Parts: sequence; structure tokens; C-alpha cells
Amino acid sequence: MGTDYLSLYDLNALVHRSISECMPDEYWMQAELSDVRSNSSGHCYLEFIQKDPRGNSLIAKARGTIWANIFRLLKPYFEESTGQAFTSGIKVLVKVTVEFHELYGYSLIVLDIDPAYTLGDMARKRHEILRQLEEEGVLTLNKELEMPLLPQRIAVISSPTAAGYGDFCHQLKENPYEFVFYTRLFPALMQGSQVEQSIILALDAVNNARDHFDVVVIIRGGGATSDLSGFDTYLLAANCAQFPLPIITGIGHERDDTVIDSIAHTRVKTPTAAAEFLVNRAGETAGILENITDSMVLSVTRRIEIQKSRLDTLTGRIPSLAATRLLQEKYRIPTLSQRLKTALSFRIATENHRLQLYEQQMSTVSPENVLRRGYSITLKNGKVVTDAALLKKGEKLTTRLQKGEVISKVE
Amino acid sequence: MATKDQTYTQAMSKLEKIVQQIESNELDIDKLADKLKEAQSLISYCKEKLYKADEEIKKIVEGEDK
Repeated sequence: MGTDYLSLYDLNALVHRSISECMPDEYWMQAELSDVRSNSSGHCYLEFIQKDPRGNSLIAKARGTIWANIFRLLKPYFEESTGQAFTSGIKVLVKVTVEFHELYGYSLIVLDIDPAYTLGDMARKRHEILRQLEEEGVLTLNKELEMPLLPQRIAVISSPTAAGYGDFCHQLKENPYEFVFYTRLFPALMQGSQVEQSIILALDAVNNARDHFDVVVIIRGGGATSDLSGFDTYLLAANCAQFPLPIITGIGHERDDTVIDSIAHTRVKTPTAAAEFLVNRAGETAGILENITDSMVLSVTRRIEIQKSRLDTLTGRIPSLAATRLLQEKYRIPTLSQRLKTALSFRIATENHRLQLYEQQMSTVSPENVLRRGYSITLKNGKVVTDAALLKKGEKLTTRLQKGEVISKVE
Repeated sequence: MATKDQTYTQAMSKLEKIVQQIESNELDIDKLADKLKEAQSLISYCKEKLYKADEEIKKIVEGEDK
């Protein structure tokens, strides 16, 4: 009989029909992407895989297809929502139908994707990296660095052609306060699979010249849909965390922090915002300087005022002090003169008394009294003669009596 | 005094100290003038850092771009 076997096509057609009948629904399925390719007609072909959670061996695998009309919308939607390229290695939640084609076999046709799932998975991975850095004790090292009061010498890690780099430089240069900034570009790829390696190399270059810089700015931005997965790697995060200068990130995205944002000293959204941050910092510091200047002038003025009023007070006290002193002196003078008078008259009386005593004594021995008693004084040439042996014959002597003198000659 | 090698941060902390000394009457009036001169020179140093491009720094930092 002609029906006890089937052709391959018939068999496959049977499988096709069975699958279509038994699995007519659309299914939300979670899997990892692998071997993602898109061809010139815009269709995307890929492999869905599932690994053993303990090891890394595959436990399931299926071919997948995203037709161009779906892929055209799905890819940008996914990438804009997640900041993650639609590429191999990421976990996705997709809505699929199960197909079986007689020639091409089993495959899953993707109709829709839920970016929230991938975001969750990425967040989990980022969390994992942060947890590891925390365990190693380096998580907050960059945040603990002190941002200089004036971050003026800036190492910029960016793609040289990025619009964001131009915005950053312009914003810095045209700052309204006319603060001076110095920048040097350390070029790096900010998109694609080499982001991690490229930024690490740039960081190494900055590190070699770190004495010449105050701060590092990592910026990207503008342009195409972003693939931020390069900023979510452990190695880059570990490098940034332990970098000796404060890092400012402005990598231009709307979604939650990348790992590098969480590690950096300061994160802002865009390159322009990074420049604004630096200008504001300089503005704050200029404000502090002004306050210091003002408060110094104030306190010096106050200090001088105090000294002046002290001087004035002292000056004011001098006249009244002097007057008091003068008055004291005024009273002292009559007192003194009274004391002087008393002392003088006492002294005079004493002296008088003594003089009278002397006079009395003297009068008893005075020559007049002696002469009166009958003695006489013999003089030769006006000098008193007391020794007769000294007289020669014929010399003239004068004898003074109480009354009158007698002249005689020696015999 | 403001020396060439000091950082802006160092200059500011010196300035703050001087102001504090003046405010807390720690300074002799005799020394006030000297301290004011020092403060003045620190302020000019800081202002210069903020507003005037230093060719030497420019050369070191930006040199390789040009």
C-alpha cells in the first residue's frame, strides 16, 4: 500500500501542523542571546541559549528569527530603553511563536521584547560588581578623595570627535565668570566592545601624568543610540574606584547609573553638566574668597575700632587723672611749707641757744676780759711774744693793756 | 606668603586661618599689618589662579594637544 510511509516533506509537514495546532499561542520566554546577526534585508537571525546555572554548559538552544518589519522597531526600542546594545551575551524576555518549517526546521519567531527584564538583569549584574568592589574595600575610594577647591587642570577622557567633547570644552571656555581652565584630551573609544580596554588605557596615561591634573572627566554623548554595557564592567569599575584623582562622569544617558557612575567621585548626566559642575565649583571657591576678603576687612576694621576706642578712653582719663594729681600736689605744698616753717624755727631756736652758750664760754676767755683782770699782751712787730729768750736788746715792744698801749725797749 | 608651588586649596586654608586669628583677637596689633599684607598677597594669588591663564601650566597640561 502506498500509505505506510511518509516522505520527509510530509513528515515535516505533519510536525509543522502538529506544532501549529498544539502550540498556537504566543509565549513570553526568557533566554540569553547568542550569535546575533542581521542581514542586508533587515532580518535578524540569532540563537537563544540557556546555560546550566551552576556550570556554563548549555542545557537548551533554539534558533530565532526577527523579521525585518519587527526588528526595525524592536532594536531601537530595546536599546533606547536599556542603554544596552541588542547583542550576544545579554538576557532578554521575548514574546515568541513556535514555528516549524519543512525545510528550515524548528525556530522561534520574535514578536516583542520586554526591556524591563534586561534592565533588571543588568541591574543585578551591576549590583554584583558593586558588591564585589565593596568586599574588596575599594567601592568608595574615589568618592573619598577630596575634590580640590579649584579643579582647574582637567584630564578629559572622551572620543575626540564626540559632540559631547565639543560641548564640554565650549561650556568651560565660555564660562560667564571668566575662570581659567586647562584641559588635555586623553582619547578613548566610548562605544562598542573596546570601551573598557580603551578607557583603562586612557586612565593609565592620565595616571602617569597625575601631578599635572586636579580632576578626571569621563564624557561621551550626543548622537546614536547608546551601548553603555562597556561602562558596566568590573575591571573598569575597579580602575576608576582606585584612581588617585577624583573622577567626574558625564556619559549622557537617561537610565539608572552605570557602574562607573556609581564609582565616580561625582556623576552628572551630560558633558555640558560636567563643565557646569566645574564652573560652579570654581564659582563657589571665588565666593568663599570674596567672603574671606570681606570678613577680613570687617574684622580688621572692628579690631582697629576697638583699639581706637580704647585709646580714646585712655586719652579721656588723662585730664581728670592729672587734675586729681595736681590737687593732691596743691595740698602738699602748704603742708610742706608749714612743716618747713616749724622745722626751721625749731632749728633756729636750738642754734640760738647753742650760740648763747658758746658766747658765754667765749666771753670768759676773751682777751678783753683777761686784760681787764690786769693781764697785758706783749707784741713785737704786731705779733704776740710768748718767749723772753727770743727777744734781743734794744728791740721795740708794744704792751697792750685794758685801756691803751705802752711802747718800751728791751734792756 | 604666596609661593609658586602652593595649591589654591592651601592658599585658601592659610587665608581662613588669618581671618580666624584676626577675628579671635589672637593677633597683636603690631603684627596686624604684616598679616594683612600676607592675606592680600594670598588673595591676589587666588584671584590670579581663578582668572589669569598661566602659560607654564597651559604648556604642561595642554601641551600635547597643540
